[in-house]
Amino acid sequence: MSTLRVMWQAVLLQLALSRRNPEHALVLLIAPMQTTTMMALTVTAHREDAVASAVLAPGLIGLWVAALDYAGRVVPEDRWAGRFSPMVAAPVPLGPVVAGRVATVVLVGVAAFAESWLVAALGFGRVVTVADPALFAVAVAATCLATIGTATLLSAVLVVSRARDVLQNSLGYPFYILGGILVPVAALPGWLDPLSRVVFLSWSAELLRDAVRGDAGGRLGPVAAILGLGAAAMAAGLWLTRRYVDRSRREGMVEFA
Amino acid sequence: MEAAVHTSRLRRVYKRGRRDPVVALDDLTLAVERDEIHGLLGPNGAGKTTLVKILSTVLLPSGGSARVLGHDVVADTGAVRSRVGLVLGGDRGLYDRLSARRNLLFWGALYKLDSRTTRRRADALLERVGLAERADDRVERFSRGMRQRLHLARGLLHEPRVLFLDEPTSGLDPVAAGAFRRLVLDLRAEGRTFLLATHDMDEATALCDRVTLIDGGQMVLTGDTARVGRFLGDRECVDFTHADPAVADALAVLPDVTDVERRDRAAWRVHTAGRDGTRRVLAWLLDRDVLTARRGEPTLEEVYLRTVGDRGMRV
Repeated sequence: MSTLRVMWQAVLLQLALSRRNPEHALVLLIAPMQTTTMMALTVTAHREDAVASAVLAPGLIGLWVAALDYAGRVVPEDRWAGRFSPMVAAPVPLGPVVAGRVATVVLVGVAAFAESWLVAALGFGRVVTVADPALFAVAVAATCLATIGTATLLSAVLVVSRARDVLQNSLGYPFYILGGILVPVAALPGWLDPLSRVVFLSWSAELLRDAVRGDAGGRLGPVAAILGLGAAAMAAGLWLTRRYVDRSRREGMVEFA
Repeated sequence: MEAAVHTSRLRRVYKRGRRDPVVALDDLTLAVERDEIHGLLGPNGAGKTTLVKILSTVLLPSGGSARVLGHDVVADTGAVRSRVGLVLGGDRGLYDRLSARRNLLFWGALYKLDSRTTRRRADALLERVGLAERADDRVERFSRGMRQRLHLARGLLHEPRVLFLDEPTSGLDPVAAGAFRRLVLDLRAEGRTFLLATHDMDEATALCDRVTLIDGGQMVLTGDTARVGRFLGDRECVDFTHADPAVADALAVLPDVTDVERRDRAAWRVHTAGRDGTRRVLAWLLDRDVLTARRGEPTLEEVYLRTVGDRGMRV
């Protein structure tokens, strides 16, 4: 219970921080531009069948960018600001704090879906209708949860890494491709399929497209896969964060302000 | 009753790759009694901060043991964390863009306090540290003294019985430092124990019941602050005032006098070798119509300087 309370307080903290410094909302400026580019390519190529993908892709990219960008910054920023040592000295583990803060930023990224839809509708006259809205909502919710879990893992990986910036900058496109965001996984070389199946985004992208087209047929397998992969990432992230804190305590890397 | 803080042969070594490791704490054994304000003194690099880090569980020792209120800092980390407060000095360590109240609400959750309790305690603490009227102002607009008081409020939020203060008044003006010290004394009167790491001898003299001086990770001395001058052995001193500076010159050549130090226009401190020497110097001064004269002991600062030595900028 206290872990959930800590996560909630971390959400509130991040909301307050983001209100003061809304840099995380930058993704909401980029999403319309990405949608415009993709819609222009789709429309000029007369690929009406790809409009749904062109609208969904910026939303998923927005989620991923929000998570990736912020995941790598939470712990380092607290270290630089001298807040890390009092946090380590507190009885609550650091992982839920990171997860709560990242969750807020991820939820901001969800708005990219709505933006993309509006750009397609208002800018290109293509109103994307969702054939299975209930499944679509479930898919978005599951994708958000999985993104929070994955971002928690990424945060720990990036903090542990000695080349944080390089890693952070290079984790965009591989996941857009393996996640089937830009093109469906089915269109990729077959040997990439096993890899893409362990990336929750591949299940999300497919499920969202199916929900839009009404092809999903009430399948809950993809939802379970998204949630399972997200939960595994969250568990790994919390474990790795704990390991990182323990290593910092052992090696004397926790500095006072 | 077990001491509030007890370390036994506590050791911490920092590895530095291919270079020789640094021994920050070298078999340090120390006890801080309950309801005591204990000063931890020493030059830069002496091991003060390393000790505070270990006791507040943010650093693991390389050897020996440390217990806080009977709980081992390694084996029983959770119990220690919920019973101690950590108060750091300096401008950093808070969410600057958020209000003082918002900062405390977040830190309350980290100490497993429910929202209602956190709000109640935050309001009470902000009132107590004199920040109630600025509770909803951003911390970035706070002076250093105000930030320091907020650090203290954060450290007290979970009502710890033991507080570790690391250079808490560093950089504060005398008025702000004085107010902070009065607050610490009030808190001690409520039954809290403080371990205060500081470079400020005046602060240690004003606040601490006992002090421990460490250097090179080893204990140099520990004892009552008021009697710490005795660590310089037979070295005693006499403070006197006299209108004629020639008296001081004449005094300096006496066999019982080790040195004479001018403290003011008409005030001197004369260091003597032993109690008999002090008696003879006092008698000598009385014969020369001295205005005032009293026997004293070396101050904490003198003990510090003579024990640690003049190492200039070296650390």
